[in-house]
Amino acid sequence: MAQHNLGTVISFEFVRTVTKLRFWIGTLSVPVIMAVVFGMIFLSNTSTSTAAEAQKNAQFSISYLDASGLITPADAAAFGAVPAASSAAGIRDVQSGAVDAYFEFPAHPETTAVKAYGADRGLFENGKYAAVAQAMLARAVAVKIGSPQLSRLASGSAQVDTVTYQGSEVSGGMNSVVPPLAFLVVFYGLVVLLAGQMLNSTLEEKENRVTEMILTTLKPTTLITGKVLALFMVGLVQVAVFASPILVGALFYRDAMRIPEFDASQLEFDPLRMTVGLLILVGGFALFTTTLVAIGAVMPTAKEAGNFMGVMIALIFIPFYSVSLVVSEPHSPIVQVFTYFPFSAPVTALLRNAFGSLGIVEAAVVIAILYIGAALMLRVAVRLFQYGSISYTSKVSIRTALRAGSRHAVAGPAEHPAEK
Amino acid sequence: MDEPVVHISGFRMDFADTTVVRDLSFDVRAGETFGFLGSNGSGKTTTIRALLGLYEPTAGVLHINGRPFKPEHGSRLGYLPEERGLYKKEKVMDVMTYFGRLKGMDRHSARQWSLAYLNRVDLAGKAATQVDKLSSGEQQKVQLGVTIMNRPELLILDEPTKGFDPVNRRLLMDIIGEQKSDGATVVMVTHQMEEVERLCDRIILLKDGTSEAYGTIDEVQNKYGGRIVRIRHAGPIPPSPHYEVTLEETNYAELSITDGTDEAAILRELMDAGLVIRSFTTTKISMEDIFIRVYGDHTQPPSSVPARAAAARGA
Ligand SMILES: Nc1ncnc2c1ncn2[C@@H]1O[C@H](COP(=O)(O)OP(=O)(O)OP(=O)(O)O)[C@@H](O)[C@H]1O
Ligand SMILES: [Mg+2]
Repeated sequence: MAQHNLGTVISFEFVRTVTKLRFWIGTLSVPVIMAVVFGMIFLSNTSTSTAAEAQKNAQFSISYLDASGLITPADAAAFGAVPAASSAAGIRDVQSGAVDAYFEFPAHPETTAVKAYGADRGLFENGKYAAVAQAMLARAVAVKIGSPQLSRLASGSAQVDTVTYQGSEVSGGMNSVVPPLAFLVVFYGLVVLLAGQMLNSTLEEKENRVTEMILTTLKPTTLITGKVLALFMVGLVQVAVFASPILVGALFYRDAMRIPEFDASQLEFDPLRMTVGLLILVGGFALFTTTLVAIGAVMPTAKEAGNFMGVMIALIFIPFYSVSLVVSEPHSPIVQVFTYFPFSAPVTALLRNAFGSLGIVEAAVVIAILYIGAALMLRVAVRLFQYGSISYTSKVSIRTALRAGSRHAVAGPAEHPAEK
Repeated sequence: MDEPVVHISGFRMDFADTTVVRDLSFDVRAGETFGFLGSNGSGKTTTIRALLGLYEPTAGVLHINGRPFKPEHGSRLGYLPEERGLYKKEKVMDVMTYFGRLKGMDRHSARQWSLAYLNRVDLAGKAATQVDKLSSGEQQKVQLGVTIMNRPELLILDEPTKGFDPVNRRLLMDIIGEQKSDGATVVMVTHQMEEVERLCDRIILLKDGTSEAYGTIDEVQNKYGGRIVRIRHAGPIPPSPHYEVTLEETNYAELSITDGTDEAAILRELMDAGLVIRSFTTTKISMEDIFIRVYGDHTQPPSSVPARAAAARGA
């Protein structure tokens, strides 16, 4: 019976959401906005290459090894590059921090990729290694132009494989950051788009005065759980919609969308980070859903609930404002607070997970916090709904509602003379 | 059959520091139609909500079929709350099938039943209409339909006829009557005393949060004098142990007859006292009169308003 009712609630809630025009307007607006953003990236590609010029001139120490014989000591000196003793020594110098970068030019750079090893300077800076390696090669061959084979190199299109290090550990650079970061994007998209709906899902029974009919027909736990699960399914539909333009873009328009130093085929999907990201995403979504549902159960109208929603949305954006701190100093106290405070945890932990600064133990703790928090919130939401939502027009005192739920209650929802 | 369907004893309900219901006890028996009466704010809705587990009672026992009500017990309940409402943005048929399914019907029979019901209440063309596009009376019809889906064993109706025109009120009373003849136990809150007289087997009158009168309609009528005499007259009415003057105006009075007294004796007594009697009728005291007697006495200046107007004001 209860099982059957849960299914009934889920399908009713799900179907009535996805058959509304409003839902599709909201959902489809996200890919449209993304398309606009990609368009702007595409249009600004020219300015990005000037930025690359500036990076080429940025000073950093280089050691190199040249098997092609193209690079003369004078060429190297122009870039402040010194020859390395061996390949191993070059890499060791990067790891120890003695130099910023080590370039290994192969015997046939026209067919084989140049290898660039550099200290990890973050997403936007790591591109400079490849740019400078190319520039060195280009300058060296410029004098020997005339051979068609060499002019290709001179145009600066030799392939460079960049490897970056955090200390002696290989860091994936942007290619390993992007996939787990996608969970963060999805989290933002879901919460921003669905928050209103989560809040309204219990408010609606109140505003429409259906609570009494519902509460005498099925268990509040069944109702609330059904609503939360229906929201999950709605979320999945939205993720599918968000993902579709990315997939289409990646498959058909990869060239047009090329961001410098970004090649979709090079993305690294670290299984651990991806699993952690997914778990945090689901847990964070569950926590936000149950919390908003609980708030909805207490608030008399959507208008008053709106204020609370503002707070919740702010909570997910605050860690984002301090994103540079989260990325560069993951162990600072403030970042620690953000990591473990349940409502800022999803964003902070997803960011840190993407940048590889979330240890496995930390990840486990955060995930536990999110799932336990969501389970507790579900119980609170049920109780608030059960004992609070009959006071249709006044705000429920959380204390009385919770107390009413316990065995030796003093009273039902109270503290206000009735409506009439 | 002996166990009451609804059993309430020693029920007390406090909101913060006001006591709304105190020491209330009554039973509703299987198959009867029970009138739950009382003035505005006397605690009827509160009692129903506590009975259905929507409020936590401060004290007392409130049982349905021998135990506190829980929706998952699977007893077939039809509850029409005082605060009406349905999912406003959904279609009539969708809402009805949803509730039908929650009450244990399968999708197909829920749809069939709903179509037949909508037909019956003149809403056949509105199955695919969004609920908030219906008039409030039409919405109430849909809500009553949802309430009686799946043949409830116990119907609890909090002012079922409020907001209906006379024709639809009659239709509604008929529908409720059918439920009753189908064997449902009905608990009904109403302020329409003629409905009470037509439908109810037994009643309880709530005053200041506790029982003022409880029993069959006859028993309650007897408690309040049972029979009354209405006279059009001239001259002062003398006091007497055989009657009590319950209403006295310039040329009109109502007397409630003391138990065991014969009407003819009263007529003789009045004429002997020198009264001019223009008309003299005896009737059973109506529920409306009882209601006004119970709730209206300290608010009515008895000599200034005609009885009917007073009734309208009091109800
Ligand atoms: N949630 C509540 N909090 C505080 N007081 C309440 C609450 N609900 C009802 N009351 C009070 O309890 C009293 C009884 O209310 P109730 O709704 O039970 O009356 P009622 O008999 O149904 O009246 P009506 O005929 O007007 O529907 C009223 O005085 C009301 O102010
Ligand atoms: Mg009421």
